[in-house]
Amino acid sequence: MASQELLIAPHRFAVGYFRQTFWNWLIGTAFFLGGVGGGLFLVSLLTRHVAGMIAGFLIVVVGKNTAHLLFLGRPERFLAAARRPDRSWIARGIWAMGVFMVTGFVTILLQAHSALIHLSEPAADANFTLAAASALFIACYDGFLMRSSAGVAFWRTLLLPLLLFMYASLGGITLSLTLRELHGEIPPAGLKSLEHGLIVANFFLLAIYLYRMSRSLPAARETMRELVRGSYARAFWGLVLLMGLVATLLFSLLHSTLHVSVFVGLIAGCELLGDFSMMMLMLKSGLFGQQIAPTNNRATAF
Amino acid sequence: MARLGMVIDLKRCIGCNACTIACKQENGTPEGIHYARVVTQEVGTYPQTKRTFLPTLCNHCTDAPCAMACPTGATYIRPDGIVMVNHKLCIGCRACNVACPYMNRHFIERGLLKHGYSGNGISPLEAIKFADFDEGTNIKCTLCAHRVDQGLEPACVVTCPTDARIFGDWEEENGKLQRLVKERNGWALLPEYETKPNVYYLDA
Repeated sequence: MASQELLIAPHRFAVGYFRQTFWNWLIGTAFFLGGVGGGLFLVSLLTRHVAGMIAGFLIVVVGKNTAHLLFLGRPERFLAAARRPDRSWIARGIWAMGVFMVTGFVTILLQAHSALIHLSEPAADANFTLAAASALFIACYDGFLMRSSAGVAFWRTLLLPLLLFMYASLGGITLSLTLRELHGEIPPAGLKSLEHGLIVANFFLLAIYLYRMSRSLPAARETMRELVRGSYARAFWGLVLLMGLVATLLFSLLHSTLHVSVFVGLIAGCELLGDFSMMMLMLKSGLFGQQIAPTNNRATAF
Repeated sequence: MARLGMVIDLKRCIGCNACTIACKQENGTPEGIHYARVVTQEVGTYPQTKRTFLPTLCNHCTDAPCAMACPTGATYIRPDGIVMVNHKLCIGCRACNVACPYMNRHFIERGLLKHGYSGNGISPLEAIKFADFDEGTNIKCTLCAHRVDQGLEPACVVTCPTDARIFGDWEEENGKLQRLVKERNGWALLPEYETKPNVYYLDA
């Protein structure tokens, strides 16, 4: 049997692709919460929904930041990560988080308890713009961060930040709709249709992503094979596609027709599960390239 | 301006892993962390089979993606081209680990410096060497910068019994590195990642 068939290297002294194990479930959780929380805050901000803004703000500020701090090897030094925004997406993320924490909090105060704080109209407008921009940045900068991580070929595409932004938007809209349903509020016109459109768009974007990767570097092609037919295929087909997109769309359409409240929980559960699974699979399935000499390729052609 | 690097002659490498051991002894890296390692592969089908060896180390890339990814500036490139880590600045975000296509960045997990290889606590040698490391931070091959600064060659180079590792300066016009690569059509690992590595290989 040709040794080229041993694709995943069993240890560091062997030839093969290496699995990405450096960024684990904590980073995956942080990226997921950043996407969902940022998306929820942004959607709620644009539709003036205070409960959604508060929930999004807390998901990002408490959830995402806690996961990041738990992941860091030296969390007490985390502020040092803000030093190089000119080169690092992590540094840019820290700055955006700082802006979001201030402007997001002020925005919530202005919306919920306007008596507590007074801002002139231009200042309030500037605060609104900064809060929206920083929420948008937080929702999708993780994609740029992953894309700039040159070692993992499967992440090296501009489609990744776009995919994470689309998932963040979908997660934000789904959670916003869920919160409104729970409060017995009527969602703004078009939000439900936008959710359906995003589910379909995400499906096609995932397909385009995989197609693009099937024509990329060898490590990216192998990652794609792992996702579609390999050790992550069950999770990819079952959780990301079936639960995350197909079931979410199905339950959402059923809810639009039947108006049964149990579907609200099912829609949110399926969407969040699919979103989180997609994020984790992106991290876990990533492979580093095979380090082989050209002579090896010749040798295997005996 | 110097650009230090290495050429590894695969025709000379016998896969003895002396470089791996010399590096461990020189740098005293914790358990499971190897700056230098020899990747071994069995190729072909019986009866036409052979083993190939590929000694690896940090490529000290000119466009080092690990240095680009570092948010704190802990990873930096010295004027002589050696890629270094200032562990006092490292926050352990592991962005450099996922940025390096060669997997030559190493994270020191919590508790790793509390036990040595023997399983009976850390040895006197480890106690000295581990003082250079910091749990929760990243480390990497320094091309034995502490030796280079004294005019010596890296430990893996001086230990190699077959002189398979050749250390030098890429900027030296028609120097030994440039000459070897030109004469024997040298190549670098994973050129498609566009990191401009400073470690080249010569065919076996």
